[in-house]
Parts: sequence; C-alpha cells; structure tokens
Amino acid sequence: MSMADSLPSVRTQIAALLPRLRRFGRTLAHTREDADDLVQMALEKALTRTDQWTPGTRLDSWMFRIMQTTWIDELRARERRGQTFVPEEEGEHVGITPNDAQMDAMAVRKAVSRLGDDQRAVVGLVLVEGLAYQEAAEVLGIPVGTLTSRLARAREALQAMLGGTTP
Amino acid sequence: MTTTNWSDEELMAYADGQLAGERRAPLAAAIAADAALRQRVEALAAQRRRVAAAFADVLDEPVPQRLSALLSATPAPAVVTDLAAERERRAARKPGLSWAHWGGMAASVALGVVLGLQLGSRSGGAGSDALLSEAGGQVVAGARLAQALDTQVGAEATAGDAGVTVQLTFVAKDGRYCRTFSAERVAGLACRDAAQWAVQTTVAAEGAASGAAAGMRQAASALPRAVLEAVDARIEGVALTVEQEHAAREKAWKR
Repeated sequence: MSMADSLPSVRTQIAALLPRLRRFGRTLAHTREDADDLVQMALEKALTRTDQWTPGTRLDSWMFRIMQTTWIDELRARERRGQTFVPEEEGEHVGITPNDAQMDAMAVRKAVSRLGDDQRAVVGLVLVEGLAYQEAAEVLGIPVGTLTSRLARAREALQAMLGGTTP
Repeated sequence: MTTTNWSDEELMAYADGQLAGERRAPLAAAIAADAALRQRVEALAAQRRRVAAAFADVLDEPVPQRLSALLSATPAPAVVTDLAAERERRAARKPGLSWAHWGGMAASVALGVVLGLQLGSRSGGAGSDALLSEAGGQVVAGARLAQALDTQVGAEATAGDAGVTVQLTFVAKDGRYCRTFSAERVAGLACRDAAQWAVQTTVAAEGAASGAAAGMRQAASALPRAVLEAVDARIEGVALTVEQEHAAREKAWKR
C-alpha cells in the first residue's frame, strides 16, 4: 500500500474521531437521530474536501467546525420549512430503572438541550469536548471574548436550571 | 477578603484552566485567602465535570454502521490476501483494536442489508444453488452456502464451492461456531445452530465478484466492514486456527 496517498489516513483519523463527533452532535442536536444525521452530513462534506484540512492542525477542530456550520444550515432550512423540533424523550433510552448518575445525566442533557443554539455549541466544545477557549473560538469563527461571555451565560443558565448539587 | 473584583468570566476561565497570564497568580492567591471565592470556583469546576459526565456515555455507544461505512469505502480497498498473515496481525495487534478496525481497509460496501431471499436462486425455488434460504422465519444458509460453510477450511476454496469463500471462523459468546463468507455480490456471517447455519448478517459487497472474476484466489475476497463489525459483536477470544477449523469440521461444527 502506498503511504504517499494521504486520503486513507485522513479517513482513518476521522474514523477514530467518530465517537467524539457523535458526542458533539448530541450537544448540538436535540435527538440522537438528528445528531447522527448531522454527523453523516458533516462526514459527507468533509470527505469532499479533505484537501482543505492542513496536516498538523487539529482534525477534531476541523470536523467540529464542519458540523457546526452544517447544523446552522440545517436549522435555517428547518426554519424555512416551518419545522419544529421534537423534544427528546430521554427516558426511552433507558431500559431499566436509571441510577442516580444516569438520572443526573438525563437532567443535565435536558438542560443543555434547552439552551440556545449558540450556547449549546460552546458548551459542547468547551465543557464536553474539552477544547481551549481559543480553539473553540476558532471553530466557531468568533472572538475569544465573545466565546467567553457566551460560555458564562450558558453556564449561568445551566446553573439556574440544575442547581449546584451533584448527586 | 480580596479587594479585587473578580468577574464571573475570570472565575470561570480560572476554573477551566483558561485564565491567562498576569491575572492567574493574583486570582490563585485570592482564592487561597477567600473561602467564598474558592467555593464559586469549585462550583464551576464541578459543573464542568457534571456536564462532561452527562455526555460521556456517548463515547461507549457503538458507532452506527451508516457512519463508519462512509469512512471505510476507500478508493483502493485492500483485500484479505492471506488469512494466516491476517491471523498473525490480529494476534499481534494491541487490545482494543477490533476486527472492524482492520476491516476499515476492506472492500467498498454498498450500504444496506440485503434481504436474504432476494439472493436465493433466481429460478425461485430453494434449490441446490440457493445461497440463502428461509426456515422458521429466519434467514439460513441455502444449499450452496451450507455446503461451503460445512466443508471449507483454511480458506481452501475450490471450484466445487461454487463461488462461496469462507474466511474467518470463531466461537461466539453464545457458544456457537460462526463463520464469515462471501459470494458473488454478498458477504456475511453465519452461526451454526443445531440444524442449520443461521445467517446473522449479509451485506452487499461489490468487491467480491470482481475479485473472483479477475482470477484471484478466492481467499482474497474482501470482507466488508459491516461483516467485521458483526464479528466483533459476537466473537469470544480469537479466531480459530486452521487446525482448530479442521477439528471443528470433524464435529460437524457442533460444540
């Protein structure tokens, strides 16, 4: 196999990121199905433009950015179609009685889903995916100051919804 | 008490390890001296952990096939040309890498599960050349596939196997022997029940036919990623060696 051909290696690297892309999708989208649809759309886009990714730069940030712009496009398209979101019924994914940690996770995911679209993106990138403020700001194409204030507002809103105690 | 006013954003950045430069040390000192300030920072750190934990499980979910398949359809798919070499690679590979992982190199996959009965004999009946058949509402190996699954060992396919190649054999978690196979336009996984080979998965595989047509060894049939993922989901331990396959065949694939 030729090592000079970089395309398979980018594919392989993206494949390794799939669990994280799905997780980021879950912070953006309201349902698991929407999140996986979003990942699929982003993958299809990314595969047509792998030459635009600069080796040595963060591939996760590159993919997150494609997902974010894809999601914004999707939201606009839905708005035009007058489509409303179906709120996720969290309970349906838990077959047995959830334990305390699962209950808390559901409450947190529900609270995140109630944030605005911009706020969900920063929460997903910083709190869930662990990007630095600067990295997250670059993914979203906004100044780091804007990111910081957006994140602070999102965290206040989460705090108001969830309170401070962790089980 | 500190006399400096610390903004929520600064406290948040500190809790996130993102407060830069000259503000960091004074805040660290202030926190050390001020329990209320410390509590605010700790609450922010706890919130961060709590939100991260709420989404952590997603990483453990199996990635849907439709997503991984997008990335496995490489332009120049590699094929399994040497089963022994693949076994060695599998034995040598690090734990955590899966069949599906090396299957990322495998053939391009036409998405979608192929309904078994469409693949049976074109003449309509489940005759001797049927690849798949149906029994009790279940897709099972037809005569042609069963013949190959029953007899082929060590990927030593012959012309008598009528275009079916068997690649990997393993013991599933439920105790059955399972074997991967590929034929003209399909690849799949079948596990041995008391009376028959129950087909677990079939996937349309474009590479399978062209390989045979090009006169390649039949062992060179590529395994689609979906089949390898089906292997991953069931396999207990590692795949059988050729010797173990011989032994299993002598017991008619019953355990």
